[in-house]
Amino acid sequence: MDKIVIPKPKNDSLLAQLGSLYYAFVNTKNKNNLEFDLSLLDWVCPLLILPLSAYINNTGNKYKINPSDKIRTYLEITSFPRGIDSISSFQRKIQEHKTYIPISVLKKEKGTQRERLEALFAEKIYKILGNIAGVQNAVYYPIAELVTNIFEHSKKDIGFIFGQFYPKKDYLDICIADCGRGFSDTYKEEKGLELSDSAAISEVMKGNSVKPEKERGYGIRTSKRIICEALDGGGFIMISGSVALVSENKRESLVSLPNFHWQGVIIAYRIPKPKGPIDISRFIE
Amino acid sequence: MRNVKRVKEISINIANLLAPIISSRDIIDILEKSIKKTDSRSVNLDFINVKFISRSAAHALLLMKERLQTKKELSFINTNEDITNMLRAVAANRIVPKSQKPRFNPEKTNIDSLLKKVLA
Repeated sequence: MDKIVIPKPKNDSLLAQLGSLYYAFVNTKNKNNLEFDLSLLDWVCPLLILPLSAYINNTGNKYKINPSDKIRTYLEITSFPRGIDSISSFQRKIQEHKTYIPISVLKKEKGTQRERLEALFAEKIYKILGNIAGVQNAVYYPIAELVTNIFEHSKKDIGFIFGQFYPKKDYLDICIADCGRGFSDTYKEEKGLELSDSAAISEVMKGNSVKPEKERGYGIRTSKRIICEALDGGGFIMISGSVALVSENKRESLVSLPNFHWQGVIIAYRIPKPKGPIDISRFIE
Repeated sequence: MRNVKRVKEISINIANLLAPIISSRDIIDILEKSIKKTDSRSVNLDFINVKFISRSAAHALLLMKERLQTKKELSFINTNEDITNMLRAVAANRIVPKSQKPRFNPEKTNIDSLLKKVLA
């Protein structure tokens, strides 16, 4: 068994979380007997903990938390690593722990039950952010579009979603992940295009859908614009294969992740708590 | 006494059948099955208590309406302002799709350089 000690992020930025995620999964491709050791962590955020949860669920690999670890209680409250997949479990969890949202596992086969669980998640997030004009749409749009993409493209019937609001820092982190085929394989299998991970992400961001209808392909791009532009100051990271798109502070980078490979897609974003009305209508195409 | 033939109308409550937030494309299949099961030609899709519809689901809904148009007359009722605007935006884009694709010119870097620069 290979033991992987997950490094502590250098600070609480999204990029630092990406760094820890990278060093946790680097050189793990094709290894199937892993134990993730979380004992160095004294704080975790969705970008780090949700992919780990998805990976453990998907592969059956193990994890280790010491009884004295600071994050142990938090991980228990948020149902790490298995998550919850029913409305009743979600409601019970948020009754018990009002400021924490459990890791939610969305299963395609559950149809309307899945849709209602996702709605509960989104409504809880909106409630936490407060009743400000337009925030509802700005919260719901990315969640809805990014989740539906999993069931449309990943060829996996399961998706993971998790969020945490940090009241002292006044921002919200959300992560959505799947362990499906990822963008590059999607273009290859649906359109016969051989694209690198980097080129595949570029196609996604240019709105080139693998589906035949011309008016498709807006979901991810518009979600990113709502997060980074409508919700002024938001940050967005999208990982597929060995590349990450990082969009933050009006800068956009395609970041190669050597010796790292995420089979599927991870999207994480941070939105500052809105202080005034938000209007997403100019981003809807 | 005039013999007036009344058109039978049926309403489907979307929030009850599906969810208060309509997110996924595939969920529209469930709605389509439910519409097909009705014995009425005229069906009202009642959006009361539906808070939001995603662009993808709105697109799937409009495609379904087109598919069923020879068999069913579908009306969208009680849509809130946001849902109305989403349906209108998607319908407009379906009729006149945008021809210009957006630009995407990110800088290229690797994780070590980025972390060094940002976390220094």
